[in-house]
Amino acid sequence: MRIATSMIYAQQTSAIDDQQALYAQIGQQLSTGKQLNDPSDDPTRIGQDLQLHTALDTTAQQANNVQSAVSELTTTDSALSSLTSVLQSARQLAVQGASQGLTDDQRSALANQLDELVRQSIAIGNTQYGGKYVFAGTASTPTAPVQQQGSPITGVSFSGNEQVQGQLIYNNQQFALSTTFQAAFNYASADGSPDVFQTLISLRDTLANKLAVDRSAQPINAGGKLVYGPAAGAAPPPTTLGAAGVFATPAVADSSGNYSLQIHGSVGGVSSVQTITVTPGTALDDGTAAGLVGQINAVSGSTGVTAQFDPKAQRLVLKGTGSFYVSDVPSPGATNAGNLTSVLGLAPQADFVQNLSTQIGDVDHVLNTALNARSTIGARIQTLGAIGDQIQTTLTDNKKMESGIEDVDVAAAVSKFSQTQTALQAAYSTTNRLESKTLFDYLS
Amino acid sequence: MSFFGMNVAGSALAAFQQAANTTADDIANVNTPGASRQVVNLSEAAPIVGSPGYAAWSGPGTKGDGVVVDSITRIHQNSYDGLFRGASAGQSYFDVEQQQLQGVQAAFAEPSAGVNAAFSGLQKAFTQLASTPSNDQAGGQAARAGVINAAQTFVNVLNSVGSAIATAKATVSQNAAGVVTQANTLIDKIATLNGQIRASRAIGDNPNTYLDQRDLAIDQLSKLLATQTSVQPNGSTLVTVGGRALVNDTQAYHLAAPVVGTDSAGNPALVIGVQGDPNPANPVPVPLGSGQLAAYVDVYNGKLTPYGQQLDNFANATADEINRITTAGYDQNGNAGVTLLGSAVAGQPVSATNISVGISNPAQIPVGLASTAAGTLTVGMNAANLTVSTSSAIQGNASLAHPGAAGPTTGALTVTVDNVAQTFNYDFGPAGNAASVDSFVSSFNAAQLGVTASFDHVSQKIVFTRDPNNISLAHRAAQPGGATPDFTIADSNGAAGGSQGTPSSSILEILGAAALTGVPQNASNAFGAGDNSNANAAIKVFSKSVGVPALQTTTPTAIGGAGAVTVAPPAGNPAAFARIGVGQVLTIGAGTANQENVVVTAVNRTTGTISFSATLAHPANSAIASAPAQTLGTYYGGLVGQLGLDTQTAITGNTAQGKLATNIDQVRQGIDGINLDEETQNLVKYQNSYQAAARTLNVLDSLLQTTLGLIR
Repeated sequence: MRIATSMIYAQQTSAIDDQQALYAQIGQQLSTGKQLNDPSDDPTRIGQDLQLHTALDTTAQQANNVQSAVSELTTTDSALSSLTSVLQSARQLAVQGASQGLTDDQRSALANQLDELVRQSIAIGNTQYGGKYVFAGTASTPTAPVQQQGSPITGVSFSGNEQVQGQLIYNNQQFALSTTFQAAFNYASADGSPDVFQTLISLRDTLANKLAVDRSAQPINAGGKLVYGPAAGAAPPPTTLGAAGVFATPAVADSSGNYSLQIHGSVGGVSSVQTITVTPGTALDDGTAAGLVGQINAVSGSTGVTAQFDPKAQRLVLKGTGSFYVSDVPSPGATNAGNLTSVLGLAPQADFVQNLSTQIGDVDHVLNTALNARSTIGARIQTLGAIGDQIQTTLTDNKKMESGIEDVDVAAAVSKFSQTQTALQAAYSTTNRLESKTLFDYLS
Repeated sequence: MSFFGMNVAGSALAAFQQAANTTADDIANVNTPGASRQVVNLSEAAPIVGSPGYAAWSGPGTKGDGVVVDSITRIHQNSYDGLFRGASAGQSYFDVEQQQLQGVQAAFAEPSAGVNAAFSGLQKAFTQLASTPSNDQAGGQAARAGVINAAQTFVNVLNSVGSAIATAKATVSQNAAGVVTQANTLIDKIATLNGQIRASRAIGDNPNTYLDQRDLAIDQLSKLLATQTSVQPNGSTLVTVGGRALVNDTQAYHLAAPVVGTDSAGNPALVIGVQGDPNPANPVPVPLGSGQLAAYVDVYNGKLTPYGQQLDNFANATADEINRITTAGYDQNGNAGVTLLGSAVAGQPVSATNISVGISNPAQIPVGLASTAAGTLTVGMNAANLTVSTSSAIQGNASLAHPGAAGPTTGALTVTVDNVAQTFNYDFGPAGNAASVDSFVSSFNAAQLGVTASFDHVSQKIVFTRDPNNISLAHRAAQPGGATPDFTIADSNGAAGGSQGTPSSSILEILGAAALTGVPQNASNAFGAGDNSNANAAIKVFSKSVGVPALQTTTPTAIGGAGAVTVAPPAGNPAAFARIGVGQVLTIGAGTANQENVVVTAVNRTTGTISFSATLAHPANSAIASAPAQTLGTYYGGLVGQLGLDTQTAITGNTAQGKLATNIDQVRQGIDGINLDEETQNLVKYQNSYQAAARTLNVLDSLLQTTLGLIR
């Protein structure tokens, strides 16, 4: 075949160019370790590759989030563990205090210990993780959310909220990361049962003052109905004792058409018996001296018994500085007695020991609440642990997939590299030899 | 007769001299592009017959009169020219595409350091913020600053890639102008050579060099655009591109410098016309076919413009989605959230080159969402001491403070979010959508009203929370401005009030939320600084399907049913469809029974209208929105994939067409190319022949001398 001289050179140049380009390409793959350096290297998989990059970035961050969530939950868990110990100590002190052989001094020593436990539980309520109060919900709380009130402590204020902190999103699923103050401390509970602080404070006061308490055994309202206390704002008017269908046990008037209650109490060792008679239109508690509660409190100077209606718990609470008795009696002029003690669910006798045992029941209730919260946290730590493991697996899988797309097969690339090197050398030497051969050399 | 032999030898000397000269010319042009080898065609000189003194010659035969140079011709196969020029135009086309696209690819810097990495960074920053949302927390401040930094990086990378595309467009336009000048010079040259060839031919000459030069000029022109050439009887050529003459004989038709005109749909496009077009600002485009010019036009119109548009769409949709979240929240100080990704030039829509970070103070990063939970507007829905079973019927349920009444059981909640009032019709009757608390929560949430309901079983409260992700396309289309963080819910049935146990027809009262009817839920009801619900809402943006380009608007006129329709933009927003292109899938009438997806078949940039075929009727003010088809990340991945594919096509095309052109050229050169060894042989041959002729002359001379020596 005929060939033009310039074509020989052109051909050699192009052969060398091709080999050099290949050489440079494989060289780049080997030096970067990647076969996907530009989108054009693998356009069909670049989209997937970009998503893997994003997934790797964000999944790594999610792994950190889970890690930090587990640490935070562990902090919450140990706080709840401390709370459980506090409540168990309180229970022991209550049992000890109920012992008949204790002197007043010994009981007041127990009360002092309980005061310490109140302070401890407040401190637990203010547990922090990384500068954040773990029981404060999502509220912004520059100061500790649980603050004592009064001295000695008569209650606490809470400036946090009941929102679960820091929901974690993983695969579009949300996982709650904390418990709430209500769930842990039974604070402002839906059923009106006392919270940890109230329980400890009233236990302390009971021990210090030998308080006797007569509290409604059950809520006094009928199912689906509500007994209203003092009207506030748009709330319904206070419920009167004669109201039909509102009380679980309907009130039965005596023959004079009234309701009466007799309280047998004492103040400073002087006994007193007081009969309180109210008409059917009288409110249970209207916030004034006219209501039943107001009338009981009006005579507390001689009985030592104060009354309080807890509308949330729907219970009446009578507190005395010593033992006292409550009974149904006929009102003046009546021949039969009413059933007011049954309507109000009151026990005939209230004394210190019986009060303590009621309060031990309250301690058990908040202890259960704390234990429930702790088991929820424990389960959540486990869940997050599993998610953490899953995230790690996802990370590894994604890395593998990314490597499959991006990384060069080094063995194959090295072999191709040396192959190209050989070819390039051959092209050089061919060119060299071809160029030295021309018929002109033989002209004389 | 005495000198006859010498004359013969002389003709040989002259002929061989000529032949040697031609060989020398070939050798001289061995490296000249376009040079064909030339050969000397020798023939025997006509015998001397009929001359005086020879008329009666009768002998053994006619005697030759030596050798003559018939012609000097070039060896050239026209048939290969067309093949070569086609392949060469193809190669030049892909060569330009490869060069330009590789440059763009480098600007994108994927997969390691481009927009995707910055986009992931933004997502990562929100994930970090979700973990430590509170400023009180260790790392909380850093997480907020992290979001701003990540947004800044995202914006910077978008700006740089967007500018790179704009610069590439300017460069392409400039290069194309240069190529047009080059083409016009070649067109002139071909026309001039045509004239020279025709003149030369007319006097019977062989204009070998001119022919070579003209072929070379056409070869060169073919690299710039796809030419067709036909040689005419007078020797001149007709050079055309896509049926339009560039050179006809000595007449040259010049191309006009490229201008940015518009294509048939009214989109800006780089156009190359001919000089003298009546509309020089937007001339009739020359069908360039292939070659460098076609490549520049294609890179500009078919690659860079769509890449730029898609990147703008991505930037715009990302800003739209992220801003929807940030403006729906409250910042650390309880102020309404502001846009995180805004436009750098006020009043202009966000694009890759017009995007900036709108928040510089970390405290302004929104974290909280308005909710009814944090306030005191709602109370436990349970009757005292009873726990609500959320799966039990609402109607007559004694565990509720206000059990559902026997009748009426239906009503409507008007939920106003983003200044859009939407109605949720409820029915707590036995088969209604709110028969139980659970079914109320799920059907309320499914209505996508921008507010999510949930039940807090600890406090026995229903909680309504602003949820910027739980919004329908119809809601977005009806939205006049950006998102707003506050919301109201109003019940058509008034609260019954009264003591506990009073039956009620108001669902809000039944749910313990009577006090919130018509009361704005705002920053005072946000969850607080430790809340991460806004960060979580932002994270969800990255994994949900969105419509790109971002479009949420309404039709000003009704769509009459099956058939093609053209829809004008709404009166207040003439540029509503500016980003919509042919092939875009739109959802019409979202949230109605007639909701359907349509494909845009035409756009008119002058009137701002779009056309598509609908199958169902839609009343005026129906929602029109981009159909949510993919996540933002997938959309961007598609753009990079397309760029990669285009570049790969250019690279393989360049290689393949280059090989083809080389092969054809090899065959062509095999015929007409100059081979030094061949020329050397010729040279030796002519040298020897010349020597032989010279010696013959010598012998003849000595013969004559011998004869002359007889004269004494």
